[in-house]
Formats: sequence, structure tokens, C-alpha cells
Amino acid sequence: MAAIDSGTAKKRLLRIRWATRLLATLLIISFTLAVNRLSAHPMPNSVVLLRVHADRIEADVQIPLGELQSAFGHAVNDSSAGLINRLGPQLRAYLQQHIRAERSDGRPWHVVVAALSVQETQNALNGVYRELVAEVRLVPPTGADVRRFTFRYDAVVHQVVTHSVLVSVKQDWAGGVLPEAVPANVGIIALDIPSNTIRPLIIDLKTGSVWTGFRTMVNFGMRHIAEGTDHLLFLLVLLLPAPLRVNQKQRWGPFGGIRYSLIRLLRIVTAFTLGHSLTLLAGALNWVRLPGQPVEILIAVSILVSALHAVRPLFAGQGAVGREGWIAAGFGLVHGLAFANTLTNLQLDAGPMALSILGFNVGIELMQLFIITLVFPGLILLSRTPAYRVIRLAGAMLAAIAAVAWVFERVSGEANWVTMWLITYAPEIPSATVPCVS
Amino acid sequence: MKSIAIAGSCLLVLFLLVLGCNKSTDTPVTPTPSTTATTGGSTTTTTGVASSCTGVTGLAKVVCLAEAFKATLTSTQVATLQVAYSKTDATKWSNLPDGLYNGRIGIKLSALSAAQLTAFYGLMGAVLAQGTTNEGLDELEGNLVADDYLGANGGGSTYSRGNYHLAFIGTPSTTGLWEIQFGGHHYTVANTYNGGKITGVTPSFRAVEPATAVTANSRTYQPMEQERLAFAAMLTALSSAEQATAKTTSSFNDVLLGPGKDGQFPATRVGIKVGDLTAAKKALVLDAIKLYVNDLDAETAATVLAKYTAELDNTYIAYSGNAGITAQNDYARIDGPSVWIEFSYQGGIVVRNTPHPHSVWRDRTSDYGGN
Repeated sequence: MAAIDSGTAKKRLLRIRWATRLLATLLIISFTLAVNRLSAHPMPNSVVLLRVHADRIEADVQIPLGELQSAFGHAVNDSSAGLINRLGPQLRAYLQQHIRAERSDGRPWHVVVAALSVQETQNALNGVYRELVAEVRLVPPTGADVRRFTFRYDAVVHQVVTHSVLVSVKQDWAGGVLPEAVPANVGIIALDIPSNTIRPLIIDLKTGSVWTGFRTMVNFGMRHIAEGTDHLLFLLVLLLPAPLRVNQKQRWGPFGGIRYSLIRLLRIVTAFTLGHSLTLLAGALNWVRLPGQPVEILIAVSILVSALHAVRPLFAGQGAVGREGWIAAGFGLVHGLAFANTLTNLQLDAGPMALSILGFNVGIELMQLFIITLVFPGLILLSRTPAYRVIRLAGAMLAAIAAVAWVFERVSGEANWVTMWLITYAPEIPSATVPCVS
Repeated sequence: MKSIAIAGSCLLVLFLLVLGCNKSTDTPVTPTPSTTATTGGSTTTTTGVASSCTGVTGLAKVVCLAEAFKATLTSTQVATLQVAYSKTDATKWSNLPDGLYNGRIGIKLSALSAAQLTAFYGLMGAVLAQGTTNEGLDELEGNLVADDYLGANGGGSTYSRGNYHLAFIGTPSTTGLWEIQFGGHHYTVANTYNGGKITGVTPSFRAVEPATAVTANSRTYQPMEQERLAFAAMLTALSSAEQATAKTTSSFNDVLLGPGKDGQFPATRVGIKVGDLTAAKKALVLDAIKLYVNDLDAETAATVLAKYTAELDNTYIAYSGNAGITAQNDYARIDGPSVWIEFSYQGGIVVRNTPHPHSVWRDRTSDYGGN
């Protein structure tokens, strides 16, 4: 017995490491695990994710079909194919009946069950299972506070008394909650066993403000750059040859002086900023819309191009340095589209969206500035030494490898070992670098 | 030209930025304490110590065998096995395997040598009944066999007998307060002793997956099947009018008062009152209760059973789904002035699309010895 277990100890350690890596990227899975720890229950629970807006709440309701079947009566799990087509109206009526919200004085909110779909999901215990996903809109009566209400939700629980419903805030702009964080649990709806009743959940979110929302977006922008390895790498690699002059053989030559370096830095960074600000604005306001995948591929290509440029000036002649600004601006446009996708995913109303674009961009600039301040003096000093050639080429080479790996991943949709490595180690950059340097 | 030292430090900064400062990332997640298999140095005395317990009975025998088991352990192992008594530690049990519930205390079976395991079985043999197939100690073994089966058939290493824990919460003694807790996936026994008496035999959890028989040691084990059949016999014996009273409108995909649901008994009992049934039907209720109570050593079982028998007329039985307990979400409950037993036939986890039983035995007044 002891032998069996010690024999598997190493394997288990490896498995745990892999699990940790996956958890880092799949927040939703770690969230599900947390849910399981809460309930210590073998059957999957329901989840209600609230997106709090200024005048309404959009709720993503997720109900495991196996559980729904026990409560709803139709064979929804036994034959879930075409479920929405088959039973859409009945499902809507059922949810309408079991999802209610009201003001503290009892005045009801308006509840609308919008889109329904079926999706596959998984948790650690049950493995893969199917669930009904309902988009439910909760609108308070005129003048009522959207942040305080009595949530009378008893779908499934009214019948399956061992079921539970985890209610969390997924997004709350004015409260400083963004959907990329692990949702904040606000309560569990389940049978109160001693009294045999299902008590409504009193939701009382802390007071939000425009300032909180704006500040959160600045932080979000900073984190986006700090954790967005691809944006960071693009900028760093573009800066690698910035202190150098182009020599007679159209190669990177000697150090061009501090003034020369700073001017080039300013040109590159300004061009990049102008580029991404433009598309961030256009994309977030839905003037321009590009699907995520080609944008992500183009970003990987942009890193490859800037890596090649760090090896040898990309365009012949003295104009290479000048055209570098255009490269930075052009790829800035591409990176901006990716930033914009991040914001459109928030599905904000016009007011918060305008402030978010501003805050997010301010955050991006602040983090860029921080990184440049950290790195550029070093580049200037190093570029005066013979060793700089090796550093520049090695840096360009590593960036090129990462870029190629990303291109493959983003075209194929499958991770490879390079990108897995980057996922594991790259998000540590900001948190680790700051204490290391200071 | 600046000094090489400056250049070097700048290189370091650049390197940190590009590659990240890895010093914090290399810390692996601490796995569950590795299995330091101890070779039994002091194990030759096991039989001697254990056999010296043969003359004693009751709690004294349990304490004697607990001490005999401790004598086979290293001091480090004893420190893992035994903690000071606290209700908090007593509540650390679950129906989930270690991989999904990592709160269990005590020493894992995987950490025990063959001789130490012998002493362990000697101790459990005094706590549980012996000599009945699929009940008592044999039911415990059947559960370990089933978990080994899950481990070998798609469940992975979190399943199998090595993951079960034995804990002494408090120091075993014939005078003080302490609890013996043995448990893992689908199984928990917890006896509380105080002032020289046994003060609690619950919460006690019984379940198994697969529900079908598993072959090991040249025989088959099916530890929960007798319980399922006993509930089916109890419920199908009811007349249709009695069944209508006993049947609840609610559905259950698990037991209501599983781990973590301490002290949450319903204020109002549901179902049909056993006192309203014929003597034959009452006997069937008692038969189901016996399959839990008689898992314990005969002396303890007799005391507990006497109490539950005396309270039988004021006990209620209820069910949901089919009275025959044949399909997923079928459910049965016995709820008395003291006794609380739930049996839930629920969806398969490792063995998909096949129901498996969960069952919890609690006592309204003496869970955790009333602590």
C-alpha cells in the first residue's frame, strides 16, 4: 500500500503542477472548484453571475441540465440536442416563474428572460456536463437602487432540495469589479433545512462611483500591458536597436548618442501610442470591428517583424530609422484593436464606456512609461559595450521564437510548449520585477 | 564607457524583464504530505501488545488497542495521528475523496507498514462488529476494496485505500474526552468517548461506488446493498395509502445532512409515523436501522439500539422517487427523536450513468458525543 502511494507521489506532483498552470489561465475552472469546496456536494450546483450596470442587472444563469430535469419535469438532460427549439417557451416560463427580484418595500423588479442556450462545462468532480445558460435582465422600478434588492430565486431548489445556487458578481463597473477577476461571491441560495424554507437572498452591494470605475479601468490598463506578454515583448524588442545608428553596410552600427537615442525612443513610443489609441477608440465605440483571431495573429506577426528589425534594419538606407515610426504606428493600430476587444467584451453603456476608454488608455500609457523608464537607461548603457550585439541578437531571437510559437497557436487554436511556458512564467513579470529591481 | 559591473546589472534588469523573475514561480504547490513509508522497526511487539488486550472489554479494550496501535508508530507518526480534542477537528470529515476535500486530519493508511496496518485492523475490529459479511469491519473493508477499484478504473490516485485517514482527536483514555475518527471517500466512522463511556457514535457516513459487487481477496464485496434492500423492503411493505403519506414532494440528489451540515435537523418531521404501522412494518424499519447500528461492536450497538427501539413509535419514515430504491434520485429517510438516517441513490461519478448510494447516520442529540 505504501509502495503504491510513494510510487505515484512524483506523478502526482507533476500533475499538480500542470493543474496549477491550467488554473492560472482558466479562471472559470478554479471558480468551479471553489464552488465545490463550498458545497462539498457531488452534484453540480447552479451559478448566477451578475453584471451590474447603472440602471439594470444582467444575470448569466447557469443550470446543470441533470438537476434541471428533476425540477422542470421534461427530459431535458436525456435529450438536450435542440432543447431550446423544442422547449424554449416552457423553459422561459419556468425561469420567469422562479426568478424574481424586488425592492426592500416589496415592489417588484421587471424580469426578462432573454437568450437561452446549452453549453458544456466541467468541474473537478463531475467532469464534463451540460448546462442551460439563460441571459436574464433584472430592471428595478424607476428610482429604485440597482445595487440593493431582494433576490427571490428558487429555480431547481424549489424541487431538488439538496441543490444550491451560487450567486456572484461578475462585473460591476461602478463597484470596481471586472469580469476577468474571479467573481465575488455574494451568497448561496439553498434550502434552510431546520425551517424547510428557501430564504431570498438580500443583495446589498457596496456603493459604487464613477471614480471607482475610472480608477479600476486605469489599473486594468496597467495590468493589461504588464500581463500582456505580447504587447510588452513587441515594445521591448522595438526598443532594442533604438540607441544604435545604421552603418554603411545597412547593418546596426555603433551607439548613436543619448540625444539620438531619446529622439528615436520618443518617435517609436509616440507612434505606437497614436496607433493603438486610434483603434482603441474606434474599436471600443464599434466604428471598426475585427474578429479577435486575425488581430491576435497580426500581433504575433508584429513581434516577429520587430525582432527581425532588431537583427537588421528592415528597410534599406538611412530611411530605415524613419520608417520605424511607421512600423510602430501601423502595429500600434493592430494592438489597439486587441485592446478594444477587451473593452467591448465588458458590454458597457455609453457613459462608462467613454470613461473606460480614457482610463484604460491612461493605464496602458502609465505602464509603458514605467517599463521604458526601467529598461531604456540600461539599453543606453549597454549599447555602448561590445556585448550589446550579443544581447540584441539573443533578445531578438527569443522574441522571434515566442512570436512564431504564438502565430502557430493562434492559427491552429492549440497551445504548444513554448506558449504554455509563457503562460506559466510571463504573468509573473510585473509582480516579480518590481520587487526584484527595487 | 561605464564599468562592466553597471553593464552587468543592467543586463540583469533586462533579462528579468524579458524572462521574468522566476524565483517565486518555482515554488511548487505543496502536494499532500508524501508517503514516508516507515519500515516496521518496533513492529515485532504488535502481536504481543495487542494480545495483552484480549482480557479487557468495552472502552478499556478500545483504549488498549489504540495504545497498542500507537506503540507501533514512530513519534512523528503519532504526532500526525493524534491531536488535542476540538469540535472543529471532529467536524473535518467528508464524503469526497482527498483530492477534492483536503481537510482530513490524522494518519493515512498509505503511511502505515504491514505490521502497523495489522494493529490498525486490530483496533477497528474492537470498534466495529466482526464476522458479518458486508457489515461492520467487513463493510469498511468492502469500502476500501471499492475505492481501490475506482482508483484502478479511471478514478485516479485520489481514490484507493491509501487515502483513508485514522485520527485520534484527544488522547485515548478510559476517563477523558476523545474521538476516534476513521474516514475517507464515501466512509466515516466517528465514536466519541467521555468520562469512561461512549457518548456518541455519529456522524457516520456510508456510501460506495460502484454499487455493484467488486471482487477482491477471492470473494465479492457489496457493502451498501443490504442497506438499499432494507430500505426497499421497509417502503414497499407500506400500503399505497401509507406510501402516499410517506412520500415527500421534494427531490433529493444527495443526502440533506451530509458533511458540514451539523446541527441542522429539520424542526418538523416529514413522512409517516412508525407508531401508526403494524408490528411487521415496524420491524422492517428497525431492520434498516440495525444495518447501521450493528456495524458497531455488539456492546455499543445494544445500547444504541435499545434507545432507538424505545423511540421507534415516535420515529418517521419518508421517501422520494421509487419505494423500491432502484433509480437515480430515489431517497429514503428515518427521522426519530434521536436517530436520523438518510439513504440517497444518486448519479454515478467515476462509473458514469450508474447510480450509487450515499447514506448518513446522525443522531439529533449525540452527534460528536453531544459536543
